[in-house]
Amino acid sequence: MLYVLEDTINGILIGSIYGLTALGLTVIFGVLKVINFAHGSLLMVGMYTAYWAVVLTGIHPYLALIIVAPVMYFFGYYLQNIIIKPIFKAEKDVREPITVIIVTTGVWYVLDNLSLLIFGPQYRTLQDNPLRGKMLEFAGMMLSIPKFWGFVIAIVTAAAVYWFFQKTRMGRAIRATSLDRESASLMGINQYRIYNVAFGIGTAIAGIAGVTLVPFYNVFPSVGVLFDIKGFIIVVLGGLGSIGGAILGGIIVGVIESVGPQFMAATWTEAIVYGLFLMVLFVKPSGLFGVKYDW
Amino acid sequence: MTREKLQSLSLVLIGVIAFGLPLLVRSPTYLHILVLLFLYAYLTTSWNLVGGFAGVLPLGHSTFVGIGAYTSTVLALQYGVSPWIGMIIGGGLAVIVGVLIGLPTFKMRGAYFALATIAFAEGIRVMVENIEYLGPFKLNGPRGLQIPPLNTGLANFMFAEKEPYYYIILVMLIAVLALTYFISRSKLGYYLSAGGEEPEAAMALGVNVARCKLIAMAMSSFLTALAGTFWAQFTLFIHPKSVMSLDISFEIAFIALIGGRGSIAGPVLGAIILRPVSDLCRIYFGDKLPGLHLIIFGVLLIVVMIFQPRGLQEPLTKLYNRFLDRFAAQPDRIR
Amino acid sequence: MTILDLKRLVKDFGGLRAVDGLNLSVQEGKILGLIGPNGAGKSTVFNCIAGVYPPTEGEIYFDGTKINNVKPWNLCKQGLARTFQIVKPFSSKTVLYNVMVGSYVTTDKRSVAEDRALAVLETLSLLDKKDIKAGNLTIADRKRLEIARALATEPKLLLLDEVMAGLRPTEVDEMVKIIMGLRDSGMTIFIIEHIMRAIMALSDWIVVIHFGRKISEGTPKDVASDEKVIKAYLGEEYGVS
Repeated sequence: MLYVLEDTINGILIGSIYGLTALGLTVIFGVLKVINFAHGSLLMVGMYTAYWAVVLTGIHPYLALIIVAPVMYFFGYYLQNIIIKPIFKAEKDVREPITVIIVTTGVWYVLDNLSLLIFGPQYRTLQDNPLRGKMLEFAGMMLSIPKFWGFVIAIVTAAAVYWFFQKTRMGRAIRATSLDRESASLMGINQYRIYNVAFGIGTAIAGIAGVTLVPFYNVFPSVGVLFDIKGFIIVVLGGLGSIGGAILGGIIVGVIESVGPQFMAATWTEAIVYGLFLMVLFVKPSGLFGVKYDW
Repeated sequence: MTREKLQSLSLVLIGVIAFGLPLLVRSPTYLHILVLLFLYAYLTTSWNLVGGFAGVLPLGHSTFVGIGAYTSTVLALQYGVSPWIGMIIGGGLAVIVGVLIGLPTFKMRGAYFALATIAFAEGIRVMVENIEYLGPFKLNGPRGLQIPPLNTGLANFMFAEKEPYYYIILVMLIAVLALTYFISRSKLGYYLSAGGEEPEAAMALGVNVARCKLIAMAMSSFLTALAGTFWAQFTLFIHPKSVMSLDISFEIAFIALIGGRGSIAGPVLGAIILRPVSDLCRIYFGDKLPGLHLIIFGVLLIVVMIFQPRGLQEPLTKLYNRFLDRFAAQPDRIR
Repeated sequence: MTILDLKRLVKDFGGLRAVDGLNLSVQEGKILGLIGPNGAGKSTVFNCIAGVYPPTEGEIYFDGTKINNVKPWNLCKQGLARTFQIVKPFSSKTVLYNVMVGSYVTTDKRSVAEDRALAVLETLSLLDKKDIKAGNLTIADRKRLEIARALATEPKLLLLDEVMAGLRPTEVDEMVKIIMGLRDSGMTIFIIEHIMRAIMALSDWIVVIHFGRKISEGTPKDVASDEKVIKAYLGEEYGVS
């Protein structure tokens, strides 16, 4: 019984980090109505940025945030501005931006394989970092310290993003655009600049997720793929565009993955996650938590 | 010469070149590349019935490749059924699965539909990886199935040389292109395009959009599964990560978009452009620059989508029409 | 003979009652106009008839059969065609292609569909534009194409939803002429329109609705002089003073 409890808590911790990796995806979808297939790659870029920031400057892994978040913000901002915006404009008469979805897949291929060319296929881990393998003993259970901090960062980030969209002028402009592009642009909001900012924010969140992963996870060129499809599942579970839903969806997947192996072969838990995902898509495509856009 | 005559002449010429190519290309490596090129042109043309004409974005067609490959292989290995028969049975199975996937998913909007098809495909792949025996059928989990190259010959769909495979896939490609051509000019083709572009208007004009999409999905799944059997017989080794991999679905979508989604020539053009890139990069830069072809894929896709959002078939069709005008008009004037 | 009959039609959206107990009928070979201020529920009435939404209460009879829950495509096959207020052409396709989608409804043969489409284009004087992509048409031509597609389905009843909105006065006159021509050829038409002079000139009978309720009906002349109608259009204060 204690094992199940321990697995559940570990599942919640890692799940909230999954949620954090998916949070940027949901922000981008909420505004652009595009599934960003390159999101896993953005996470990978974030992880490399965090890794090199720590290795080259020797700062504490979590202090890398002050470097990674702004770098990733501008990376996303210009990625949208230079590559995705022209395709949006070419396809603006079409109701569903299908081409954009595939183009983000192109971005994924390019980023993953460029990093393979540049950094090589080897797995990198932060040597002698103060967090690696550190455990916290709590009521007879062993909990990973970096995962615990990841959980804290995930919750704080989600709360901050929520606050940003509710309270700031920019956040409200973004929400207005996400609800109705045409009316927003009539109000003097530049639709494409909003898209740039939203993409930048989504990418910065992927960077934050990268920072939380680096202390206990290997960095390698295709690491994003592991989180890519998981990310889609999480955002649909939680409701595409919902901030709280992303974290909760992540926790659900995390708990299934960590408790499931107690009862079945580990690979079957993956099938269960897909099954749950399909069920939600069919029965309640707005997500488990019933909010279409909670921002 | 009239314009129509010139047009059919140029098509016949392309056909003659395609059939004569193995006489010039003797190297098995290059024949192999050509077979894969035609295979992907065939797969993308089949995909195009749904992804192009019906205007949705299916990203799980690898499932049907897998169903075709596994069905014929299991039947041949365990029951000695000829792969030709297994091919048809696999196609039938794929139709059932395709319709079961299509029924709930065609109600969804763009992005959701794409994700649902991915989830189906990945879910099925994960299950096959976990299944040693499906009832009496041995799937062999992640290790896949090997076809011993013992009885070569047409009846067994197995050959020592590449040429027979080349001609089989070429005929399959021509057949599927002809089918697409007839569909695009038929009532179903009109209804699919109409429903893909403006579903509400199409419904008001008497189009049962969901039913048309299901019919297209059934045809597309069937045709894709046939290619699965071809794949299995060509490589003689299948496993979930090869014939059911998401990469197949993405590559099909890439080829379709670069060539031109919803056009007849688009998938073939796309395959002609992308496949050699991928194979030649693997041959010449595979060890030094792994993944180079994927970078080229991605860059090519982005550039084409920015400058030619309808794919490369559009400028090339214009060029071809100008060529026809130029050379067909003159004899007319003389007459 | 009555071809379309609405009996106590009610349509609710959540708590909002968009159509409230509407009775009306369309006579064969005639033009019925439906008018009312913005938000009166005119388009909702059309959408209920055309099978887009099922009515909350009441019955709709078309050609003698109840069609409350019949799907749009089946209604079209039964002979009920409509246009959309916001035109929805298949933009990437030619004008002829657009119209052929409509004419395919009663045939599977390409040649039959093509001939009928060409005939319809001829009557709407769109024939010279048949090879132009629908997305490149002017607004007036798009509205015409919208009618052409609907006509190609060979309907018994044509629902026209604001086919003159956004047109210049001369274009409105042309459209009026086209619709008159259709009526003369025996077509039954049910039309929603905002341009008063057009609908007054066209309609044999007019129904006025306000907040989903019928407030008046009669010949164009009767309706134009009805005090309730004037009040609804110009506001309560105007009527009182």
